[in-house]
Amino acid sequence: MDTFVAAVENVPFVWVMILSGVDTTGIDHFFNAKSVAVYGASATPNSVGQAIIQNFIKPQYTGKIYAVNPKYSSVLGVPCFPTLQEIPHPVDLVVVAVPARITPRVFEDIGAKGTKAAIVISGGFSETGPAGAEIEDEIVAIARRHGIRIIGPNCVGVIDSQTHVDTFFLPEYRCGRPKPSNVANISLVSQSGAFAAAISDWTSELGIGISKIISLGNKCDVDDDDLLCYLGEDPSTQVICFYIEGYDKDKGRTFFETAKTTVLRKPVLVVKSGRGKRARAAASSHTGALAGLDQIADAAYRQSGVIRADNFEHMFDMAKALAMQPPARGDRVLMVTNGGGLGVMTTDALEAMGLAVPSPSPELEEKLKSRLPSYCSWHNPIDVVGDTDAGRYDAVLDEAIKSSEYDIFVVGMLLQTPSLGMDVTNVISNYQRQSGKPFVVVSMGGAFTTKAGEIMELMGTPTYATGEKAAVAASALAEYGRIRYGGEFNRSQ
Amino acid sequence: MQMKTAKKVFETALAEGRTYILENEAKDIMKAYGIPIPAYDTATTAEDAASKAKKIGFPVVLKVLSKDILHKSDAGGVKINLKDEGEVKTAFQEIMDNAVKYGKDKGTKVDLSRGVLISDFADTGTEVIIGVTRDPQFGHALMFGLGGIFVEVLKDVTFRLIPMSEFDAREMVSEIKAAKILDGVRGQPPRDVDALVNVILSVSRMVKENPEIVELDCNPTFIYEKGKGALVIDARILIEETKKTQSPSR
Repeated sequence: MDTFVAAVENVPFVWVMILSGVDTTGIDHFFNAKSVAVYGASATPNSVGQAIIQNFIKPQYTGKIYAVNPKYSSVLGVPCFPTLQEIPHPVDLVVVAVPARITPRVFEDIGAKGTKAAIVISGGFSETGPAGAEIEDEIVAIARRHGIRIIGPNCVGVIDSQTHVDTFFLPEYRCGRPKPSNVANISLVSQSGAFAAAISDWTSELGIGISKIISLGNKCDVDDDDLLCYLGEDPSTQVICFYIEGYDKDKGRTFFETAKTTVLRKPVLVVKSGRGKRARAAASSHTGALAGLDQIADAAYRQSGVIRADNFEHMFDMAKALAMQPPARGDRVLMVTNGGGLGVMTTDALEAMGLAVPSPSPELEEKLKSRLPSYCSWHNPIDVVGDTDAGRYDAVLDEAIKSSEYDIFVVGMLLQTPSLGMDVTNVISNYQRQSGKPFVVVSMGGAFTTKAGEIMELMGTPTYATGEKAAVAASALAEYGRIRYGGEFNRSQ
Repeated sequence: MQMKTAKKVFETALAEGRTYILENEAKDIMKAYGIPIPAYDTATTAEDAASKAKKIGFPVVLKVLSKDILHKSDAGGVKINLKDEGEVKTAFQEIMDNAVKYGKDKGTKVDLSRGVLISDFADTGTEVIIGVTRDPQFGHALMFGLGGIFVEVLKDVTFRLIPMSEFDAREMVSEIKAAKILDGVRGQPPRDVDALVNVILSVSRMVKENPEIVELDCNPTFIYEKGKGALVIDARILIEETKKTQSPSR
């Protein structure tokens, strides 16, 4: 067995948390708040204080919403109070959207009310200089005294697609909101608020199931480590994604330590910007993060079992596969396709990702020959050619799975040919479920293909529009297998 | 015992206002951690140097030891391939003269009370570099790569955070682009990768136990053919400024 996995498994989880200074106390309030108050609620259209109220008066949110602002008695029909303490009911979460200079008073009010979670949307804190940092220290001190957890400041807060807690101050017609999936869900933690919003908008169209999006801002209290731990235990999150620009002093190390235990439960993916010199300088001035050597960050991710993606597109291609499919037990890929070109292109991409695409053994080849027309190609990729129906896929998958010669199955499904019926989606998903092996489908095309892909994914098999994307997904399934199974992972090269 | 050797060296250095560890001191620490090093000794006179060189066995290398000289070659402080006592004596005198001149050029008086390091002139092996740096975000990380053009031109190096497992060390050695060279190419026998892995793991343990090390270089390190081991030829250690880093109980 892989030595680092063995070493980590011997350490009780609580100890890891204590040693690394991780604290997940109270984080639940941010996502499961049954009553929310917006401090700085506003009657001014297009203001932050109004946009947040709007999110909570949508029918999906079933909890209670209160506005706090001495100027109004109601905002958009929501009762408005001069202070938090005057709200006659308990409040689980306070969203703070007032100028930085008055936040210390706001936090005294939160403490007096007994609320344990606050999201500070406002900027004007440590990101602006020493004066702002002083105010930030002040609210942290008040929060510590009262046991209040803080997300932010200088952030857009959180979206939970299941409880509909949504503090993104961006109107839905501009910034779409992601939906949860019945199959599996991804949660994303982002250092950048604008990116968190863009991802919310983008994933709302992608059809990827999202559980939570969290924008951390200045991380004055809740940080990457806390959320990594929390999401590691969160039953509605199957894959954890991070966008990181840099860490505070020694915070890369604590992330590394926390990740080592989390990756044994579920996959953790990271996009870390700042590979180049100029980008690093930009990241540093953006978030105040320290500039370190990128190769060291790379090594840390690899060593802890965090999968680093080159960009967001790759990260979500990987996350989708990892959310829906089990990790691979080895790196041997079988590709079956009804289009030769698709087979060649995808195989190229698979090899470039370091995966093995071995030929079937003579025994398996004999079996395939006996069940396929003579004009098919039974080397890997196996081409069942353009006039195929679902039956040839059935034959290939049946024999290949029985042979135990492959760890990952990549199925090319071109639906432009009328002979291939939609029953092929059943064949693929049935073999996936019965075998317990990871499957990835690649299906290039237009409207009909897109619909078929959606059906495929409803049945639990991730589907991609190009061979390259499918190869990225397959490589993530192998990579996570290597992380989970360590020395038992079958590496053929 | 190992940690004690290290702590004593660091205390002496800091007391002298140095964050730079002299080569003999660095080698004392490494030796304590079981890192293979060519036989070495120190001497403060030409006579002493000659007799100690004889004990080590010729040929030898002489290097100046001074808190005021960080880059020994620049100060004319290195003489290699010395074949007998006569050559050692001459070399000793030349090194001392060069050091005095180096000091004069810089306008400082160079401390020469520590004399020189005498080291066995090791056979050339496959040259590798093992280095340690302390990253502000991730803490101590170890770098490994083949020496010469591989590191300078091709930047063919790989990193791991310290502490490392044997799995990490082996993965590191096999993942550099030029890894095949260690397997033996063009009719050369394979190199002693096990010995290399042991050096890497010992360095990792040494830094883990002595976190005040901020930079370390084993450059060059020679790897010989399988079964014949490895040798760290030159060692450089920098420690952080006087500041109690960790409580002694950790």
